[in-house]
Amino acid sequence: MFRHTPLRIATLVLLGAAAILYGLNAEYFGLEILTEIAILAILVIALDMVAGFGGMVSLFHGALMGIGAYGFTLLATKAGVAPLPAMIGAMALGGVVGWIVGAICARTHGIYFIMATLAFGQMAYSYIFESSFFGGDDGLSGAPRLDLSGLGIDLNDSRGFAFFALALLLAAYLAAVAILRSGLGRSVTGILHSEQRMRALGLNVWRVKAAIFGLSGVLAGLAGTLAAQHIMYVSPGLLAWTVSGEALVVVILGGLGTLVGPVVGAAFFVLLKHEVSAHTTHWHLVVGVILIAVVMSRANGIFGWLEARVARWQGRTHAAKTGNLALEGDSDA
Amino acid sequence: MLETRNLDKRFGAIHVTRDVSLKLEKGERRVILGPNGAGKTTLFNQLVGELSSDSGSIHLDGEDVTGLSVAKRARRGLSRSYQKNTLFDGLTIAENLGLAASVAQGHATSLLRDSLSRSEVRETVAEVAAQVDLAPVLDALVSEVSYGIRRQLEVGVALATRPKVILMDEPTSGVGPEMAHGFHKMLNDLPRDLTLLIIEHDMDLAFDVADTITVLNYGEVVFDGLPEAARNSAMLKEIYLGSWEDA
Amino acid sequence: MTSDPGFWILQGLNALQLSMLLFLLSVGLTVIFGLMHFVNLAHGALYALGAYVAASVAAAVGYWPALIAAPLAVALVGVVLYGGLIKRMRKAGPMSQVLVTFGLIFAMLDLTRIIWGDFALGIDVPQILSGRAAFLGIEYPIYRLFIIALGGLAFVALTLVLSRTQIGAMIRAGVDNDEMAACLGINVEKLFFIVFCVGCGLAGLAGAIAAPLLSVTPDMGLQILIPTLIVIVIGGLGSLQGAIAGSLIYGFVQTFGAVLAPQLASVLIYALLAAVLVIKPAGLFPAKG
Repeated sequence: MFRHTPLRIATLVLLGAAAILYGLNAEYFGLEILTEIAILAILVIALDMVAGFGGMVSLFHGALMGIGAYGFTLLATKAGVAPLPAMIGAMALGGVVGWIVGAICARTHGIYFIMATLAFGQMAYSYIFESSFFGGDDGLSGAPRLDLSGLGIDLNDSRGFAFFALALLLAAYLAAVAILRSGLGRSVTGILHSEQRMRALGLNVWRVKAAIFGLSGVLAGLAGTLAAQHIMYVSPGLLAWTVSGEALVVVILGGLGTLVGPVVGAAFFVLLKHEVSAHTTHWHLVVGVILIAVVMSRANGIFGWLEARVARWQGRTHAAKTGNLALEGDSDA
Repeated sequence: MLETRNLDKRFGAIHVTRDVSLKLEKGERRVILGPNGAGKTTLFNQLVGELSSDSGSIHLDGEDVTGLSVAKRARRGLSRSYQKNTLFDGLTIAENLGLAASVAQGHATSLLRDSLSRSEVRETVAEVAAQVDLAPVLDALVSEVSYGIRRQLEVGVALATRPKVILMDEPTSGVGPEMAHGFHKMLNDLPRDLTLLIIEHDMDLAFDVADTITVLNYGEVVFDGLPEAARNSAMLKEIYLGSWEDA
Repeated sequence: MTSDPGFWILQGLNALQLSMLLFLLSVGLTVIFGLMHFVNLAHGALYALGAYVAASVAAAVGYWPALIAAPLAVALVGVVLYGGLIKRMRKAGPMSQVLVTFGLIFAMLDLTRIIWGDFALGIDVPQILSGRAAFLGIEYPIYRLFIIALGGLAFVALTLVLSRTQIGAMIRAGVDNDEMAACLGINVEKLFFIVFCVGCGLAGLAGAIAAPLLSVTPDMGLQILIPTLIVIVIGGLGSLQGAIAGSLIYGFVQTFGAVLAPQLASVLIYALLAAVLVIKPAGLFPAKG
């Protein structure tokens, strides 16, 4: 179950303010980076929902994003659907595929769950890679951007598109919070703590797992539709298992199960990538060493580390108070 | 209310439960006694469905539930507590009870609102907290409360689904005899129409709550009757009491 | 085509050769998992390292020294990894292990690029292993037969070590129950260390023998990782029989799938893996009863 602590709200406000200021002042290259951050942030929010709150470490989320991207592109180009319904359709597709894979994998745990999601991800990747319908190795081009000129917004302008992506990031975040605070979100947390007990209480565990995986798939699909509109081209590389692996890295770097942390992680990851790539071609070495250091430090990523420090600074009494949300309702929302 | 007919379970060459037939009336409080390895917990796992039975059948309130999953049996009113800790450690006591109540009341998959803020869930939590003496510590995290309180919460979580039958696996294990008697007083104050099947290790404690007593030995029912008869049975002293006084 | 017995023999040998290569890789990974419950995603990177070392040594002094130097060098890297990382991550959950070794993949990928550059390297096989052998009406490259023989030899040797020797008995006890093994006076830490290094050495050997077949590139480790994981998950983590069975299943499904049903081939093996995970989550030959 997700809680908004003062630190989380402060971080979100700070991130939002920085994004808006940056978005207003940046040139083309900066706006591309901002869009890239927003898309990755949506994907890692989706991943944190299942991995951080449900304990389901998925290597299928790159595929879910790819399915959203391909679904959108095919609907908008080959099927001639208008971009907005195409986006909604692609998100629904992500949800359905996520639900099915979640339902099938729900029986497996730990390393076997990771392997099962990896298998399904690779299956999707290989299928699209080999299939001429999906453009095979070459991918598909011609994905259109949404037309919001009625609202006075030009999405073909990179500033307009960056703010569009940021707005959808905010929507995705709020959706994730609402889901995690619902009865379903409570049950997901219950399963994380004790799956056996939830079952003994009468819960249909696989149904809850499939539902949260499906909802996560809708958000991952959203990230995919944005990615397709951003570069106006989709390729099988979107579905590669390394994309899922990188998303997992971002969640861990930011702070698993904090929702805010992965957003911080996405910003940190993309900025670092561009910064390092400007100086050396060995970006992977840098990210590999950072990842090893973060996991070995046993801190819960950047944001988790910060939360632990703040909690210690505030002292145990206050920490206990904010921890006790219980039944007083959502007064801290 | 709860009946088993000829339940059997083998692990390889070992016959863990053998031809177990029990019949509990509504509101009956029955204690299962038996030395370690007598098959008590295995029988519980068979009853709730965490373990499938090799043969025999289980009936809950007149319905054959033998082939049903754990969750389905739970939804039909069969609840259990565990000997080892299966509480939701990172959550508060109120959240533990609320989760149980919301699953039973069908709010566990609702997307519309927080199940724990629903009035019927909050009412159940308050009622159960009063029944198991947890009202003063509702807001404490499970990981921060004493062992005794965790044992009370084990029963509270099982109660919060408003079951017909609760199976309690050594509810007083690890707490001192003083506290165990208090614990049994708490059980005696529960509504009389609730059926209880309790595994108890200590025979003296068993007499606190038992209407009837069943003794298992090597997976077999070797005694089934009133507490007075159990107290006076020479056979029991020999095969059962002897074995644990040695231990 | 399919009515020609030569076709079946040829493809069968191809499948067997792929299986044996995968076996050399997966056996180390699976025994490390069974014994230490450690998921080493960097196993593929160690295989790539083996191929690079072999390419360098072969260019300097020839193929046979390379075949010996590569496993030794990779085992040495295993010693360093064990002391620096693996030992500390043993008690961490599967996700931490997956992530640390994922980081290791990234780091080793770039390190090989820094040391050996981005260009593909090749190895020449020695005179005796080059060319083709004619038998049963077909011609088949001798080097591939050599791989099959080497893999078969490794399987027989490992089976004998596990079933007949004292260290094999200790490993089996450790896989079965490491706490119990420790109680019996087995030095479990030392056992882990030995098994980890031998596993790494086998990965290096696989890299060295694969090098002449494929071109040696930085991402060859990433490419082989997924097939290796599929093999050990299908076979059952931690078991030698599982590793050989999984390797054969993968080799034959992949090879015959590609020639008989090219449309389905790429998806087939993943579908098989998904089916195994759903129906028998612990794999076909789980190490523990």
